[in-house]
Amino acid sequence: MIFLSRLKAFASSRVLATLGMVWLGVIIFAAVTAPLLAPFDPTEIDPIARLSEPGSLYWFGTDHFGRDTFSRALFGARMAILIGSGSVIVALLLGGLVGMLSAYFTTLGHVFMRIVDVLMAFPALLLALVLMTLLERSVINTILVIGIVYASTTARILFGMTLKLKNEVFVDAARCSGAGHISLLFRHILPNLISPLLVQASFIFAFAQLQSAALDFLGLGLPPEMASWGNMLSEERIYVTRAPWLLIFPGALIILSVFSMNLVGDAMRDSIDPRFKNDIAGV
Amino acid sequence: MLSYTLKRLLTLLPTLIAASILVFLFVHLIPGDPAAVLLGDTATPQEIAALTREMGLDKPLWQQYTLWLSEVAKGNLGQSIFFKAPVTSIIADGAQTSILLATMTIFWIIIFGIPIGVLSATRQGSWVDQLTSGLAMFFASVPTFWLGLYLILIFAVGLGWFPSSGFPSIFDEGGISNLRYLLLPSLTLAAPNAALIIRLVRASMLDISREDHVRTARAKGLHPTKVAIKHVFRNALITVVAAFGFTFAALVSEAVVTETVFSLPGIGRLVVQSILRRDYPVIQGVILVIVVLYLFINLLVDLAYAMLDPRVSLK
Amino acid sequence: MALLEVKNLSVAIRQKQGLITVVDNLSFHVDENETLGIVGESGCGKSLTALSIMGLLQGSQVRITEGTVCFDGVDLLILGPAERRAIMGDQMAMIFQEPMTSLNPVYRVGDQIVEVLLQHLKLSRAAAKQRTLELLDLVRIPNPILQINSYPHQMSGGQRQRIMIAMALACSPRILIADEPTTALDVTVQKEVLDLMGELQRHTGTAIVLISHDLGVIAQTCDRVAVMYRGKIVETAATKALFADIRHPYTKGLLNSLPLVDGDVEWLDTIPGQVPGIETVLPGCAFQPRCAFADERCSYEKPNDIRVAGGHWARCHYAGQST
Ligand SMILES: Nc1ncnc2c1ncn2[C@@H]1O[C@H](COP(=O)(O)OP(=O)(O)O)[C@@H](O)[C@H]1O
Ligand SMILES: [Mg+2]
Repeated sequence: MIFLSRLKAFASSRVLATLGMVWLGVIIFAAVTAPLLAPFDPTEIDPIARLSEPGSLYWFGTDHFGRDTFSRALFGARMAILIGSGSVIVALLLGGLVGMLSAYFTTLGHVFMRIVDVLMAFPALLLALVLMTLLERSVINTILVIGIVYASTTARILFGMTLKLKNEVFVDAARCSGAGHISLLFRHILPNLISPLLVQASFIFAFAQLQSAALDFLGLGLPPEMASWGNMLSEERIYVTRAPWLLIFPGALIILSVFSMNLVGDAMRDSIDPRFKNDIAGV
Repeated sequence: MLSYTLKRLLTLLPTLIAASILVFLFVHLIPGDPAAVLLGDTATPQEIAALTREMGLDKPLWQQYTLWLSEVAKGNLGQSIFFKAPVTSIIADGAQTSILLATMTIFWIIIFGIPIGVLSATRQGSWVDQLTSGLAMFFASVPTFWLGLYLILIFAVGLGWFPSSGFPSIFDEGGISNLRYLLLPSLTLAAPNAALIIRLVRASMLDISREDHVRTARAKGLHPTKVAIKHVFRNALITVVAAFGFTFAALVSEAVVTETVFSLPGIGRLVVQSILRRDYPVIQGVILVIVVLYLFINLLVDLAYAMLDPRVSLK
Repeated sequence: MALLEVKNLSVAIRQKQGLITVVDNLSFHVDENETLGIVGESGCGKSLTALSIMGLLQGSQVRITEGTVCFDGVDLLILGPAERRAIMGDQMAMIFQEPMTSLNPVYRVGDQIVEVLLQHLKLSRAAAKQRTLELLDLVRIPNPILQINSYPHQMSGGQRQRIMIAMALACSPRILIADEPTTALDVTVQKEVLDLMGELQRHTGTAIVLISHDLGVIAQTCDRVAVMYRGKIVETAATKALFADIRHPYTKGLLNSLPLVDGDVEWLDTIPGQVPGIETVLPGCAFQPRCAFADERCSYEKPNDIRVAGGHWARCHYAGQST
């Protein structure tokens, strides 16, 4: 109940961010129900219907194989959610752990944070590209690569925040009353970091959409046969003069998703603890 | 200032060494014999044996590393499998395009990003602010290649105002006017980064304008524009400059995509093509160059920061 | 005619519950050459009053809802922004509570003083610099020629506040508003700065509005005192007259809470209770919940200003009876 009323307060004060949440809900819904909603099999090739314009039969038109763009877009939502949430989980788990542990155990921190420094010396997409060179094109690998890239930023941010919290009175108090390291870190410090982590999560989700689309476009992301919005753009780009809608729909879906998550992240950042506000860069 | 520079250089050194070790290890992470990896599929056993000897690939890793590093220091980044030419010269071929593209892009970022950010901050809450903030957020959310494709579609294919792809050198026929080939690419590349700068300038100016010393400036009876520029923007600039290293990283990432979209003969496209061609020596060389450049830019950013903020001790 | 005449000034802030009046129908005046002290607990609206007079209220949350602020016979509140700016920093100047943050950290202190001189006086840069050196000397900054090139972070709080005073006095203002100028300083530095201000006033004849939460500070330096409580002036009189015959229980409370000897203790809160939150609406006297003398009447009827003697007023039902 408290949660509901807080959600309501959030919604009334931040209209745009709420719209962002609603859009996220829409793509999650599309992702879950894609096989039910899709009017066609997303992989079904129909040479006669190649490059059909959007209409009552093919809502978003068809691509150069005659596949239904709308159905593919629905299945693309699956990839978007999968890549987005997967990258968030990898980045937050890995980066969060490294950052918190480094701040808490100073000696360990010296080593860990130097490694993070080194990883951050590689521009994000470049690091992703290099890692993809070493790996097969697959969903898991794309998630891992994007997750690892943003783990370093997350580690850096969490490191700073944990350092600030570590010296606060409530931590001392808990320590004096006999709390162990594990309990201090996860029962006392971590709860304070939940909202900054959520902000970070929404930005990583947004970044992940852009990065995976870029990887797909460069031919180094998801396997080409998979229906992702990035792959749809990548495959159909040479037909853009004949069938401009082929790029409009997947492009608009990416933009809307990234835009939404950025709005959500922005709004959440405005409402978190002012101590942490400037630590999270965002878009 | 000099001693400060040297000190910053010294602190960069460990990162530089660690990064170079990673770049060195890259070839070893690829499954297969490193010599075979470096020579490609067509290599004969004799060639593999020769390279193994030359690079000391039968020696312990750390000796290989020092050998490799000493070659790098001499400017030898190895031999491209695809081009059958030294990696250094291949990178040098792409450098002109990439450097010009980056320069033009940074020009746009400054020309658009800073004034619009200042305007947005000084009109906080007005429709101008809402419009620019919305647009900035939009451009930060658009995939670079998608924007590039539509710019090509509209301005090159549709209106025919600009060439759609490629870039002849400015030293070839056409001279400086060849820069028009880079107009659409640089605007594409600038859009998301200018958006970033707009948001950053706006946010840090709003932060600064809440500080006490701005009230002091207003109490002097200064014109609001003067307060905004001399007292708010000047202080916000410190934050903006500090973030420029970050912008540069984003620029490199997006340049890879932009050069591919516009088929520009730059280093970004080179790296993508080399990955698709499994031309590992080139990949390794480009990565090394970019990392060194990136660290160097960060050093410059640090120095600029120190010059802008008197609170930073130069000792 | 008074130099500064504030009449029925009300300032409201916008909050979720609606507009809340935090400065309530305030009236007072300052004569030439005079030092008026405004004293009251923190949060009672002193700073908002000062900022309203200076024209420095900012943000959509705060606004002046009614009243006039006449300076030299001109209502400042109806002046255009350019005319207003011509007075700010020139004929009216202000010193703020936070010396550590009131100077711009990226400019040399000298340049920050030069800036205000060039804004209002027709001076060459060299002349402005010369005048700045004199001002630094005037506020007793040791070694002005060296310190003119210092950055704020290289100075102590006391020195920075001296710089702020020099900056405020640069254009020889006719009135100086000092909002808790010494609150953030050490006790010894506090005394030095106050002495300096008093001395400068004798020197220049500038009228001063000295704002403080410390009745002791006010008693030492001011000609007249206005005691503020929850946005209203509850008692006002010439300093001597006031201390000879305090009529409002709140003023008495303030006095009793002063430490007897100049010790480390600055504020002994002997007034029971807390100031009711600004959003609480009280039907009667605002001080009633904390007042030892309050009775039935105080809880439903708002007191009016009661004249005690010439120039001595108190806003209490029982101010007429000497205690
Ligand atoms: N900009 C503002 N926005 C909202 N509330 C404010 C603002 N400035 C002051 N207030 C509120 O108005 C009241 C009076 O503040 P102030 O004039 O600063 O008190 P004082 O200077 O006497 O300590 C306080 O309760 C304060 O919280
Ligand atoms: Mg105050």
